[in-house]
Amino acid sequence: MYRTRPEVGAHERSHTEAFFRKIKFWNEMQQSQLGGAVDGLSNNEENGKSKSEANDNSAEAGSTVSVKGKKDPPPVFVMPDGMSYLHVNRNGLIFGCSTDKNISPCTVIELLSRIAKVFKDYCGTLSEEAIRKNFILCYELLDEMIDYGYPQLTRTETLKPFVYNEPIVVQAVPNTGKMINPKTASANAVHKPVIGSVNAKGRAVNQNQKNEIFVDILERLNVIFNNNGYVVNSTIDGCIQMKSYLAGNPELRLALNEDLVIGKANAPTNSYGRVVLDDVSFHDCVNLTEFEHGRTLSFYPPDGEFVVLNYRVTGEYRTPFRIFPSVDETGPRTFEVTVMIRADMEQTHFGANVIVELPLPQCTTSATCSLMSSKNVNGPAAEYMSSEKKVLWTMKKFPGQTEQTLKVKVTLDKACTSQIRREIGPVNMNFEIPMFNVSNLNVRYLRIAENMPGYSPYRWVRYVTQSYSYVCRM
Amino acid sequence: MPSINLPGKNDGGHDSRFFTTQKKGEMHELKMELHSTDRNTKVDAVKKVIASMTVGKDVSSLFTDVLNCVQTGNIELKKLVYLYLINYSKSQPELALLAVNTFVKDASDPNPLIRALAVRTMGCIRVEKITEYLCDPLSRALRDEDPYVRKTAAVCVAKLYDLAPALVQERGFLEILHDLISDSNPSVVANGVAALSEIAETSGKDVMKISASVLQKLLAALNECTEWGQVFILDSLAKYAPADAREAEGIIERVTPRLQHANSAVVMSAVKVILSYMELMGSANTDTIRNLTRKLAPPLVTLLNSEPEIQYVALRNINLIVQKRPSILENEIRVFFCKYNDPIYVKMEKLEIIIKLVSEKNIDQVLLELKEYATEVDVDFVRKSVSAIGRCAVKLERAAERCIGVLLELIQTKVNYVVQESVIVIKDIFRRYPNRYESIIATLCDNLDTLDEPQAKASMIWIIGEYAERIDNADELLDNFLETFEEEDPSVQLQLLTATVKCFLKNPEDTQDMVQRVLDLATEESDNPDLRDRGFIYWRLLSTDPEAAKLVVLGDKPVIEDDTFKLEPNLLNTLIGQIATLSSIYHKPPEAFVVRASGRGVMHLGVGGDDMGEDDEEDYEDDEGIEQEDPVDLLDMGGMGINDNGAGDDLFGSSTPQAEQAVRFVKVCSEEKSGGIDVLAAYHQVNGNVLMELEFQNKSCSVPVSNLAIQLNKNAFGLSPVNQQIICNPPVQVGSSGTATVQLVANRSMLAPVQPGPASPQVQVAIKNMATSQVFYFAANFNIDAMFSSGGQMDRNAFIETWKNIDDGKEIYSTVSDLPSTDIDGIQAKFELYNIFFIARRQGMDGQEVVYFSMKTMTGMDFLAELTFKAGVNACKICLKTENTSYGHLVKNAIENLLRF
Repeated sequence: MYRTRPEVGAHERSHTEAFFRKIKFWNEMQQSQLGGAVDGLSNNEENGKSKSEANDNSAEAGSTVSVKGKKDPPPVFVMPDGMSYLHVNRNGLIFGCSTDKNISPCTVIELLSRIAKVFKDYCGTLSEEAIRKNFILCYELLDEMIDYGYPQLTRTETLKPFVYNEPIVVQAVPNTGKMINPKTASANAVHKPVIGSVNAKGRAVNQNQKNEIFVDILERLNVIFNNNGYVVNSTIDGCIQMKSYLAGNPELRLALNEDLVIGKANAPTNSYGRVVLDDVSFHDCVNLTEFEHGRTLSFYPPDGEFVVLNYRVTGEYRTPFRIFPSVDETGPRTFEVTVMIRADMEQTHFGANVIVELPLPQCTTSATCSLMSSKNVNGPAAEYMSSEKKVLWTMKKFPGQTEQTLKVKVTLDKACTSQIRREIGPVNMNFEIPMFNVSNLNVRYLRIAENMPGYSPYRWVRYVTQSYSYVCRM
Repeated sequence: MPSINLPGKNDGGHDSRFFTTQKKGEMHELKMELHSTDRNTKVDAVKKVIASMTVGKDVSSLFTDVLNCVQTGNIELKKLVYLYLINYSKSQPELALLAVNTFVKDASDPNPLIRALAVRTMGCIRVEKITEYLCDPLSRALRDEDPYVRKTAAVCVAKLYDLAPALVQERGFLEILHDLISDSNPSVVANGVAALSEIAETSGKDVMKISASVLQKLLAALNECTEWGQVFILDSLAKYAPADAREAEGIIERVTPRLQHANSAVVMSAVKVILSYMELMGSANTDTIRNLTRKLAPPLVTLLNSEPEIQYVALRNINLIVQKRPSILENEIRVFFCKYNDPIYVKMEKLEIIIKLVSEKNIDQVLLELKEYATEVDVDFVRKSVSAIGRCAVKLERAAERCIGVLLELIQTKVNYVVQESVIVIKDIFRRYPNRYESIIATLCDNLDTLDEPQAKASMIWIIGEYAERIDNADELLDNFLETFEEEDPSVQLQLLTATVKCFLKNPEDTQDMVQRVLDLATEESDNPDLRDRGFIYWRLLSTDPEAAKLVVLGDKPVIEDDTFKLEPNLLNTLIGQIATLSSIYHKPPEAFVVRASGRGVMHLGVGGDDMGEDDEEDYEDDEGIEQEDPVDLLDMGGMGINDNGAGDDLFGSSTPQAEQAVRFVKVCSEEKSGGIDVLAAYHQVNGNVLMELEFQNKSCSVPVSNLAIQLNKNAFGLSPVNQQIICNPPVQVGSSGTATVQLVANRSMLAPVQPGPASPQVQVAIKNMATSQVFYFAANFNIDAMFSSGGQMDRNAFIETWKNIDDGKEIYSTVSDLPSTDIDGIQAKFELYNIFFIARRQGMDGQEVVYFSMKTMTGMDFLAELTFKAGVNACKICLKTENTSYGHLVKNAIENLLRF
């Protein structure tokens, strides 16, 4: 398994080089970015070398791979010399691995993701700087996580007794807008290392550690509307995610909706109002003995961020926003696009950081935007970006039970044909709705299993709904 | 303590004195700090050393100084020193040997962490010398009270096996690993299983030995062990063949809960086990299978909600699964619809699966999607979407018209690459449904100017030629293309030639000149042999018998199907067994890309599965290419192979019979085929290894035969050479002969696809003479007795049980007469030499004597034989029973031969 043998030891460096050359080649569109990446690359090679000597060619890339994820190389590829390369991209860093055997790619990719997660847990943030500053720590972690290519301890909490280095905290870089991996990046991500009261040395690192636990019920929506505003395809991709800073690691009990149904086939005919999940998968640590009857999970929370359960819902559900587009030809070379968006959720909820993108034809010469919004909308703005030929419409806050309308007058440099009309759209919407979830999956309670008087941790339970792919076709 | 000089240490000092005075100062400073009495200074100094090491600076000169720091009770410092040591133990093992005493001492440290570190680091020093020091601490560590030490020791056994396999067996470490499977600690279990499966894979031996009790242990461990351990256990289970459907069902029941695991690797491996066992259960248990099919869908779909990297791996696997068992995901097509922000590599894979799942039920939905994709930004994705629409049309007759409608709509967009791609698929639609949709030709002809890619042009020209009688100005259109004939791509030229000839046959009056011109161009101007040959054929056809030409050129073409990217069934079955490995990502059998590790070359490059037509010879040529590319590797492996042999001798020396099996050479290749070398071959078994003996008789090859490379094609026994290189020492001069031995291993992946009927004893061999670069091929029949394993002795009761359970219809009879001897004791002794084991002997009626034997191949096939002798008759009746009926006749022949000699 992905480990080095002395016979090929001399090639290790060339593996790292070969890998980056291939990755760069895939990114041939990004000629201009390459200059900037060289800096990071040399650094990668150095890091890569050291890491590969630690059994696994894990290296970090300084270059942020292309903007929209276009032309990303596939995460697994083989070179003519029989060497396979696997990598994952987390926060713009590439964690890679090479092997010449027929290994299980899922194992490697899970392991690489786990390494990224453990690095993040230990360093507080996952960035090039954090890793550079903490590489002795990362080195030590890698040695504990992989031995001779076999995954060993890969959970933050099990690693703790064996890791002696302490993290050097790096200032968190402000999130650059789009989250690279919405599944692991929580919105108010707590940027502090998990090394709490106990670490390997047995001495308290941070006495003022708060006794707290964060629970996020995160739902990501995939919705496609057709041009009449009807839903064509929709799924919810949800998870319950936790980050525990509890002292003593007590057993927790998490109760979900009592009438929860798992599996469409198991849903009773009269399941109206009940939460029906298509499929659920649980974290290793979760004890399911009471799940079948009481819909209660019990577990000892591992340290650091972890996903208690993932779930999936398909089919009909009430979408929080509905999009109604229309196009009117107003002249031979001009037309007007109207996008009306209606927030269908309760008045008390609101969409935050709403971004709506409307691509326009390549032959657009000018476009002027006008907005019609209700009063309590915060900071609406719409702007035509001529370089990208699209309109960007942003709202800080989009309250429930309101309607927003965008009108764009477009002028073309040639007569409008049906083909040009096809270039309008699709409307892509990005948003986050705090304290709201679409599936109605609820945390009934979160308790400490044993009675521990005087032990009252802070419990932060949050519901967040995010758009993952929220698109209206024109 | 081994005394080893530090190579390069002094030289390094010299160099640095001249070049980097500054660095020396830095090193000196570090040295001082390392010897400081203050603990914190020391810790910081070691950290600095590691820092320099990490960025690639050579800090080996500080080795002894850092090593000194290890004498400390401070764990933090000690761990740092070990960080440094573990690095150098991998890159500069000679240096690390200096620290061996420290390791041995630390291996009995009271702190388990230190004990584990010592064992771990020692295992990373890949020098033979280390083994004498490693064994005792390792043996202790395997039984350590602390699980952390035990788990580290388990991995260390795998490390040691790589270095000295014989030693591992001698010290009984494999047995201890087996015990670790039922350890109380999950990590220990995981590493024990991991080490065993790795050893099984690299050695090609069944060290896992899954018996009923081991199986129970593994299944019990499945619940207890870490997620990674679960992956290893599941992968081992997938390799195990359950005895019957009930056992398979039982295992599946235990495995099914793993489908809900959060770790996708566990899920994938569980899917693999279930799919492999479903295969074994056959069609008898339709209910169970239907039930399982239903259970498999949700976890597979859930994988598509993971990170894109996992999605990609899942999709490549699903691609195989939907080909094998379409029913699993037939109702889930919507989850494969592309999301707006999927990475392109995910979108491309989803498209493939959409096409595989499309049916009359969902075609309308799919078409809407595909039409939408065709307006996206990424050109490759758009092209693939357009092509997908065409493939839907080819696949679903009743939806073809709707698909064509969408394609026409897309052609109207006049986007260059959309039009070209459409033309390419429309050609396929015409081939699938001849004479049905010609009405759209006019639209296509309107877009001739847009075509600039060879494939699109060739397709369009084919359409014009095929339907020349319906296109008024077909000759004009072709004429336009002819103007640039010489600049065109060969594929376009060929199509143009054919299309012009078709046009001429349909409308001879107007196109006489044109056909003459194109034939001239093809036969006289072109230097492309294909084009010239086709030109001459048409020319002769047309000049001798135009009517016959019509029949040939305008004949009905076979109807095509959509088989793009569809894998041939044999390859698909192989790949289903490889789910959750890299094989399933590349859709190639493992031997097609795992070059280095196994030392085996590439065989049967089943790329994409569409090269079914390739004959064996071409395969061999592929092999040669790879061998040439990497001769160094070949040599490397050679060295290792020899070591392995030596080790094997020691180990099995005592347990194997003293007398040797007879070697019977057969001439397999004559000098005409091989450039002057006669080759004789024979197979036999020595010390548990299957050997192929080759004799080279150099008849007329002027270059002495010394260095050869060998490659076997897939065969019924799964045999392949351990080492591809053959060295004849001394070199075989003209007129003399020399021998060489090739060790073979049986390997599942080298098994030729199972054909119905008796298995062929043929083993196809390619040998390349490195000196002359000549490759020659021959077949050498294998005698199956060379792979009877020494573990084939069956218990008497088990024998009776097995004998009863095998259906009488699976018996094979034969009679051998003119035996050289009917001395049963002698035969029994001879048979034992060949690992044919005596079970029992009884007196039958009429002075008959019946003897029972059992044998088992290294690949695990059991054979039972009953030999009947009659006093005074120089003959013997053989009755052979086995479940592996296709190999029965081979075993029967083997027994006959043994009796005769």
